[in-house]
Amino acid sequence: MSELYTASGSKVHAHKADIFCRDETRVDWHSKALWALREKRDRAAGSLPEWEQLRLLGSQLKLHTLSHLAQYLEQFEQQCLSNGIKVHWANDAQQHNEIVHGILAKHKVKKLVKSKSMLTEECHMNPYLERHGIEVVDTDLGERIIQLANMPPSHIVVPAIHMKKEEVGELFHQQLGTKAGESDPLYLTRAARAHLREKFLTADAAMTGVNMAIADQGAIVVCTNEGNADMGANLPKLQLHSMGIDKVVPNMDSVGVLLRTLARNATGQPITTYSSFYRGPQEGGEMHVIIVDNGRTEMMKDKILAESLKCIRCGGCLNTCPVYRRSGGYSYNYTIPGPIGIAVGAKHDDTNSIPWACTLCGSCTYVCPTMVPLDKIIAHHRRLKADAKRLPYGKGGYMPLVGRFMASETLMNTSMSAARLALRVLPGSLLKPFSGAWGKYRELPVAPESSFASWYNKNRSR
Amino acid sequence: MKIALFIPCLVNQMMPEVAIATLTLLEKLGHEVIFPAGQTCCGQPMTNSGCFDEAKNTTLKLLNAFKGVDCDAIVCPAASCLVAAKENFHEFDGSQEAQEVISKLYELTEFLHDIAPIKTFSRPVAAKISMQMSCHGIRMLNLATPTEQMGKQRFNKVEAVLGNIAGLEIVYPARIDECCGFGGTFAVDEGAVSAKMGKDKAQAHAATGAKYVVGFDPSCLLHLDGMIRRQKLPIATRHIAQIINDAL
Ligand code: SF4
Repeated sequence: MSELYTASGSKVHAHKADIFCRDETRVDWHSKALWALREKRDRAAGSLPEWEQLRLLGSQLKLHTLSHLAQYLEQFEQQCLSNGIKVHWANDAQQHNEIVHGILAKHKVKKLVKSKSMLTEECHMNPYLERHGIEVVDTDLGERIIQLANMPPSHIVVPAIHMKKEEVGELFHQQLGTKAGESDPLYLTRAARAHLREKFLTADAAMTGVNMAIADQGAIVVCTNEGNADMGANLPKLQLHSMGIDKVVPNMDSVGVLLRTLARNATGQPITTYSSFYRGPQEGGEMHVIIVDNGRTEMMKDKILAESLKCIRCGGCLNTCPVYRRSGGYSYNYTIPGPIGIAVGAKHDDTNSIPWACTLCGSCTYVCPTMVPLDKIIAHHRRLKADAKRLPYGKGGYMPLVGRFMASETLMNTSMSAARLALRVLPGSLLKPFSGAWGKYRELPVAPESSFASWYNKNRSR
Repeated sequence: MKIALFIPCLVNQMMPEVAIATLTLLEKLGHEVIFPAGQTCCGQPMTNSGCFDEAKNTTLKLLNAFKGVDCDAIVCPAASCLVAAKENFHEFDGSQEAQEVISKLYELTEFLHDIAPIKTFSRPVAAKISMQMSCHGIRMLNLATPTEQMGKQRFNKVEAVLGNIAGLEIVYPARIDECCGFGGTFAVDEGAVSAKMGKDKAQAHAATGAKYVVGFDPSCLLHLDGMIRRQKLPIATRHIAQIINDAL
């Protein structure tokens, strides 16, 4: 499977998905594990009579904030400063990494504990800091697992979902010295806890992502299930928090709305086990917030793409996506996979294929707690790619032909009667090689003798 | 009512029995049915791929086939094509005439539920059927409440239309409205994933013990039929028009 574990690369989605699909038992298991989350989500969402109202409110408050972004970010910065928090601004990933390194270098940090941040993944921060001699330890269990396995996350909420417990057992045996052949989740979790505790106690600084940044409070919210963000932020004196500009919300009321949907939509929990609010440095410590753009302002210029910034990273759209569940997180050529990964990652995909890794079924759009119109955004990306003449799968070549073919009755009628005749008289085995992916996996259609149009002309025409 | 049929290319060329059933059932219900000439395709294969320039002529050809046609409604037995036609007409032609055509467009189930409900069925259809709740019909055309959506006001127009047929038992597959994996060119671009989705869906339908998979979207049915026969599953596909026609 090693071929799959490259986060970037030049392979089209279909190719990577094809490799993933070769192990059907794994596909079934992966699909089932994620569907179980979708079912839990349905139960949790269904238990709130006001669920659809919350989605609408969530969508409206995010749209409102995005359309007054400068104002809220400034307010947030002001409030942070008066709470004694240091605020930094980064235009792109490079600047973000430099700022983080600058702070850590100033404090001579050798070891950083980190939790819950897709943004630092987006910025490829870990390898950057490691190149500068700083050890970065991911403290989330799932994140730690993939870090030990030297892989990127395959899901935004359950990053090691693609690994079976036996594989985690083997990994821990090799890396942490647990018993060989042991795959009991409780045993493995305990072993990881003990290993991480030592890291927490010896860390010089802690870093987390940000779920929400509250403008009128100058405070941030971090949601975790393991309490590791708190362990990290409360032990060393130096704490850092990275956030995208899209994370800001106006006030506590907005937090109330989003917190009610976030965990329910992610895992079916009423709320994450720990929803921690940080509103200033600890005694004698320092708290830094790094606010990152990295292409988000650019995205806001396009009205349709802008709506992807409403996302609160619950992962619900990944869990429901029938394509993601059957092609795995590493097939998307971007740090964030699934529907939202296509929405925010399509422009980074050098194969131009991920906008087509979707049937446009629309399930994601209906699942989303902030009503990100994912299917519309994905379809829009296809159009942007087509307009830029960057079509995958040979579409650039054959689409004009299809266009001409479909627009002509004569062309369509003559060739389709030929095709129908071929389907009826030639043995299937002879046709299969000519029918591409369709015939490889399915029986070819049973062809009728004539079209409806000719039937109509014979039977109804007056 | 006077009804103009919109028969998408796939149905016209590959599944004429669906169009014949649609025509016959509408006639049995007392409607006058016409089939305007010059229809090919709604342009969906192209617009779905992002290729709007390539879709333009095709879409406008279909739109022209309906412009100025004297009728009360334009009815189509294919949900996905209907949705695409509506959107594409709107995209390429902003005229009043185009708007008139758009406002008359109905998918067959939608028409039989919202516009001209069937009063009585005259023949029983003794069969257990497993409904294929295709994506575009439920999520873009509101034929039924999708499972992702919460709240009390749930509806299912397909079941409402078929519900009064004597002898008919309606069941649903597991993961009731998960996509079957056809998705237009997705079926060829993403062969492996599309096939796996289709296989899972076909098996879920067969597991209900139903005699037929019944749906309102011919393209999904064509894909499922190919998957069912490849796996030799004991179930067959039928379009909703065929079931209704049998019951009238
Ligand atoms: S797009 Fe919506 S469903 Fe997907 S991760 Fe973001 S908030 Fe969740």
